[in-house]
Amino acid sequence: MTQSARIHVRVAEIEPLNATLRRITLQHAEGALLPASAPGAHIQIELRGDTRSWRNAYSLVSPPGTRTAYSIIVRKVPQGRGGSLYLHERLAVGQTLTILPPVNLFPIAGLARKHLMLAAGIGVTPFLSTRAALAETPFELHLRCHAADQPAFQTLLAPWPHAHIHAGPDFNPTDLLRHQPLGTHLYLCGPTGFMQAAEAAARTLGWPAARIHQEHFGAPTGGRAFDAVLARTGRTIHVAQDQTLLEALEAADIDAPSLCRGGACGECRLPLLAGTPDHRDHFLSESEHATSIMPCVSRSHAETITIDI
Amino acid sequence: MDQGIKSRPRYQPFRIDPAGTQHLIVTDQPSPPPGISGAAELWTIAPHPGGQSFPTPAALLASLPGHLARQGPGFRLYAIGTEPFIWDVAYIATHAGLTEGELFLHHAGSLARRVHCIHCKTNTDRVTTNIVTCAGCGANLLVRDHFSRRLRAFMGVQVDAETPGILPPIETLYP
Repeated sequence: MTQSARIHVRVAEIEPLNATLRRITLQHAEGALLPASAPGAHIQIELRGDTRSWRNAYSLVSPPGTRTAYSIIVRKVPQGRGGSLYLHERLAVGQTLTILPPVNLFPIAGLARKHLMLAAGIGVTPFLSTRAALAETPFELHLRCHAADQPAFQTLLAPWPHAHIHAGPDFNPTDLLRHQPLGTHLYLCGPTGFMQAAEAAARTLGWPAARIHQEHFGAPTGGRAFDAVLARTGRTIHVAQDQTLLEALEAADIDAPSLCRGGACGECRLPLLAGTPDHRDHFLSESEHATSIMPCVSRSHAETITIDI
Repeated sequence: MDQGIKSRPRYQPFRIDPAGTQHLIVTDQPSPPPGISGAAELWTIAPHPGGQSFPTPAALLASLPGHLARQGPGFRLYAIGTEPFIWDVAYIATHAGLTEGELFLHHAGSLARRVHCIHCKTNTDRVTTNIVTCAGCGANLLVRDHFSRRLRAFMGVQVDAETPGILPPIETLYP
């Protein structure tokens, strides 16, 4: 995504949904219309803290096509890398931010006979904008969440007559996955462990890959600091423990492409020239691991890595 | 004769997909290919030990939708036979919700084609020659490799529009 695509927005409203969830509504800073978004789309928000900046992806929860405002829901993650804490503790109504326009990596399958949506926690957000797009197609939405979040999610899911909220850790989707008609499409969004378990259960039951859709949202966990050698210029940049390689590139003013920032979409893929990569994405195949790296989530096992940018 | 047309379907060799949990093989061929395991259900036209047989391909196709409606995740459908038959199966299966990775087509037997006249939209079946007279409008059609998955047929285009009655040599290309 290039620099020119950035949109300046103003924080129009901040609504707490409970102790750790807040809905943030953004409007165009100059009062213009925002680009229309599709069901399931997300935006990237750029945040500048005192010592570092973040670029985080959030699903739009405003109705698709709304051009006067975008809404997102942010969970406060105290042990995260700081972006959500900034949005919970520093952000104020009236403040301006920059965002990148909506992108949809989680579209609803148009030919599906039925939609089976499984979410955990804040992973419910990409589904909230899809209700109208489901039209007459049967659907079932199941949300696993902490008991403390149940009232807030219940309110958000009021327009979903078929939503099932499972408060507590005991939700096992295997029976649901076993008893679905042909032509059902499965959508997963939530923490990595939740999605991996659900996907593994579906694959064991014989679900083909073409009917499983996943939205991976960046929870890059950080790791050891390392240096990246940028082969085209010979520059070396430092990647801190709590920073991603992509963020380090952006901090060095290198216009690196990115979309999902969660290792899923493939947009940020860079040729890998030397080093011992720590691959953490869901995109590259085994055979591509020797020659490519996804800087939004992946890191280096060794002290330096050389990439072609 | 390769007409260099990319829509011409290509088929993989038959094999049971190990990711599936229930398998149904349907065929219009007298003997199903080797390698069919006992774990798969088999529907045939000619009676076959261990299989369910139907009097005609049409009767077999008519029984498919009801059967598919009772299936769920893990179901795999394999169609083995002539191209008109396997694409009829594909049409029914797609309408029942089967998708990539659940439906496998394997060509066996005659190469005879179903030809769709692009002028009058009539299908002519069991075409084995490069030129065929349309069963609908009587035009002399050149049988192209252009295959429509939606129409389940090869396209036939009038070959003598500018020189009526003057045809290229007629050859049996699709025995």
